[in-house]
Amino acid sequence: MKRMPLLLTCLLGFSAMFTACTKDPLNHLSAEESRIYITSFDSSANFSSYKTYSIADSVAVIDNGHATKERTESDQAYIDAVNKYMQERGYILVNKNSNPAIAININRVYHTSTGLIDYTDYWDYYGGYWDPGYWGYPGDVYYVPYVYGTYQVTEGLMSIDMFDLKNAAAHGNKINLIWNGLVRGEGIFDSATADSSVQALFNQSQYLRANE
Amino acid sequence: MKKTIGLFSIIIISSALLHVNAQKGEWKLNLNYNYSLPLGSFKNDIISNNSPRGFSGDFMYGINDRFSAGLYGGYQDFYQKYSRDLYQTGNHEVTSAVLSNSIQTMPILAKGKFMPLGARHAPVQPYLSVGAGISIINFSQYLGEFGGTSTNAGFTAQGGAGVMIPFGRYSLSGLSLGADYNYIAFNRYGYNNLGNLGLHAGVYFPLR
Repeated sequence: MKRMPLLLTCLLGFSAMFTACTKDPLNHLSAEESRIYITSFDSSANFSSYKTYSIADSVAVIDNGHATKERTESDQAYIDAVNKYMQERGYILVNKNSNPAIAININRVYHTSTGLIDYTDYWDYYGGYWDPGYWGYPGDVYYVPYVYGTYQVTEGLMSIDMFDLKNAAAHGNKINLIWNGLVRGEGIFDSATADSSVQALFNQSQYLRANE
Repeated sequence: MKKTIGLFSIIIISSALLHVNAQKGEWKLNLNYNYSLPLGSFKNDIISNNSPRGFSGDFMYGINDRFSAGLYGGYQDFYQKYSRDLYQTGNHEVTSAVLSNSIQTMPILAKGKFMPLGARHAPVQPYLSVGAGISIINFSQYLGEFGGTSTNAGFTAQGGAGVMIPFGRYSLSGLSLGADYNYIAFNRYGYNNLGNLGLHAGVYFPLR
């Protein structure tokens, strides 16, 4: 029994190691590493057959289903970056009244989710919590009239959509989405990250190239 | 003189026998720091980094001088962050991301240990061990900051060898050094096992 303090000390030490020994992946990411770039495309689209494009002059802000139009500094940086990389790939920017082959919309999307935290009897998890007897009510239990706390998480993303105007009439006046790029993660609404984000989307979409 | 030598021999033999009897029926606790090396498909497909973040312990009962049996528990944290790459995430969808894999294994095993030298007062006591049971496995995978964690249990088998170094000739406490091969079944996401080699160093002492 004289070894019990040693044993308890060891167990406590190992319990502390248990939590300290875990590397949480989310705590080991830089802002750049947290970002993901997703592209998808219509496999039936022939991207080299398009010559011209037009881009909306502001960004649609879709916040939990409500849409407005804005042009902040970072929005403008995204518009500029899309123009830069489209033109590098041989596409020609034209006015939207000049029959562009491709229409480009840029969107800022926010989604807020709400969750509940259950506080019911949370002290049951802690053996050392004050017993009601300490307050003069031995044998009684605590009562919590409100047992839930709420939290909200808002996630945002940048979305770039390319629509096929050239073949809209042939498709029964349907404007098909032919390419989409998404940027998610930390710092995506910062104008300093816009160029590199759009560059990443184009780098992984080598099929986006006009015949020159 | 002959009588003195005889008496001295009896004392020596008796103390050795007492030591033999002390091994039998004794509970011992062994606590270790663990360093683990992923092997096979675990190393090739999930995490190739060695893990310096682990510990283990066993609680063994001396059946006789050579054999002991008991329970083994442990914890090991494996983590790897891969540099940014492209992943096919749909038919015509590609995602550029930094991939992070994180795995925590917590084995709980029934374990047997064999010490071929038995009660001999060797300064180094080699041992062989085997164990079987289950491991609780936390598997987290993230593309950038997006992903999640799943928890499963998998059959686990362990084979090990090492040495126990008593603090003194008659001490029942000492240092332990060894290595274990751990097979952990993990039939998820196209993977099949988390085989690894664990190196450990620690202390053991009797519980009285």
